[in-house]
Amino acid sequence: MAVKSTMSNQQKLVQAFCDALGVSSQTVNDELQYNTIREWDSTGHMVLVSELETVFNVMLDTDDIIDMSSVAKAKTILAKYGVSL
Amino acid sequence: MAFPYSGSILQGHSVLVTGATGGIGRAIVSNLAQSGATVFAGGRNKVALDSLVEEVAGKVVPVDYDVTDENAVKEVFRTIQARQSDPDVGNFVGLVNNAGEMKEAGLVASNMELLRLQMSVNFYAAYQHMQLASRLMVRHRKGAIVNVVSQIGEQGGAGLSAYSASKAALTGATKSLAKELAPFGIRVNAVAPGFISTPMTAHYTQLQRDDVYSRVALKQSGTPQQVADAVLFLLDQCAGYTTGHVLPVDGLFQA
Repeated sequence: MAVKSTMSNQQKLVQAFCDALGVSSQTVNDELQYNTIREWDSTGHMVLVSELETVFNVMLDTDDIIDMSSVAKAKTILAKYGVSL
Repeated sequence: MAFPYSGSILQGHSVLVTGATGGIGRAIVSNLAQSGATVFAGGRNKVALDSLVEEVAGKVVPVDYDVTDENAVKEVFRTIQARQSDPDVGNFVGLVNNAGEMKEAGLVASNMELLRLQMSVNFYAAYQHMQLASRLMVRHRKGAIVNVVSQIGEQGGAGLSAYSASKAALTGATKSLAKELAPFGIRVNAVAPGFISTPMTAHYTQLQRDDVYSRVALKQSGTPQQVADAVLFLLDQCAGYTTGHVLPVDGLFQA
């Protein structure tokens, strides 16, 4: 795992997806969508939410968790919580 | 009780207890604090919370909020989330949904307001707490949730249909979430008290008590401490292979 304190928010986001889903950074791009890879299923989604909340120190609303259907969408949602990406 | 278990997951970690100022809640908080946990003690009565902090030896953090206020609940978990990095608090590993409302009313005299109140406190609030608590626990792949349900919810009770329905709902969620959260190392269990001597049952006359005792194999009421000990057992690693169960603390009660 990279040293998160020196990373940009974009790098932290990619790393969070990698850590939560156990995928490589090459897999994580804006087009990656929920339930399109084996690792991002409902279980992976819960771990992902937890990881994003930890990394960015936010607590997401349930509607946003349901709505977080892609990497691009995750960025939009995190922006609502003051995370600039 | 003196904490008898070695290797407790509670030592150096944090736990939230709702309904902390009631008879059973106080005993639970005391048990958990003695086990070495930092206890976030939730309640609506600030004076009672302050008195609890003074009485209990150990680390108790009062949290003054209404469990049915969704935004207040979120704020409590934001606070816990932020304080986990404090070594004096430690990772959040336990939730005890103990807050409860019991309103006795026969079907003909009951109303939707009473039903909603009991569902709100006994089930909806507990559900939201489990939802938010599990997200904090997932990070550490470790945690235990104990819901305080009721033998009335398990067996039914005349004049207590709304109460029993709300507690039965929580029992159902306990069993389902035990399966759903197991992959994350989170156990979910429940304790089902029978007739316990608390301020909530203090108004029972001797005649009413005798009637209850006639249906209890052990012919006496239970104590808050006995319920708290069961909660501690289920939270601790000594129950590490137990999930999705309802542990009766009822002297073998038959409604």
